[in-house]
Amino acid sequence: MNAWLQAAAVLLTGAGLVSAAAAYRITREARRALGVLLDFLTAAGLLRLAGDPAWDGILTAAAVIALRRLIGSGLALSRAAP
Amino acid sequence: MIVSVELLPESTLRDAIGVLVRLVEAAGALIIFLGAAWAFVQFVKAGLRGRDRVAGFNRIRLSLGRFLVLGLEFQLAGDVLRTAVAPSFTEIGQLAAIAAIRTALNYFLGREIAQERAEIARGEEAAPLERPAQGTPS
Repeated sequence: MNAWLQAAAVLLTGAGLVSAAAAYRITREARRALGVLLDFLTAAGLLRLAGDPAWDGILTAAAVIALRRLIGSGLALSRAAP
Repeated sequence: MIVSVELLPESTLRDAIGVLVRLVEAAGALIIFLGAAWAFVQFVKAGLRGRDRVAGFNRIRLSLGRFLVLGLEFQLAGDVLRTAVAPSFTEIGQLAAIAAIRTALNYFLGREIAQERAEIARGEEAAPLERPAQGTPS
């Protein structure tokens, strides 16, 4: 099952890159496109958590979520600044 | 004299729970994968249309978030089952870590949903005000 999950996680990462490009085309905002990419990366991280969860997988998913919030709040701050 | 009858051997219980854990975790992974695949198809379709469809974009993103949260709940259920038979400190630690990730994700996704809804509401309020300004002759 772990090999399938790894393959699915890689697929989702690729899908995230394409979706982020599509999101940029729809909204013309890099912030929203980046948000979509990070959503897909979170999904890939969560897939790696299934099966036999090892500390590596848990730490990766946690790191992606933390990074996502950090980038998201950084972009929000830069947008709010004059 | 002590007579003990083993109605449910521990090994059988372990095997049964092992199968259940696999099933529940596979369901969680499937939900996450299918949700992301659905969102991918929707994003590509909307991107090919190429128009400014921010409302549709937000709806797709919110659906993806809900799929992620649902999949996470299945994963958590699988982990609770895993700790039912022979909880070790490692398993308890992993369960705590996954529960923390799920809670954090729930919290942040909830905040994002509220934020995006507020943005949509602001956009709808601003639009009628902008139109007369654009229409007035200079």
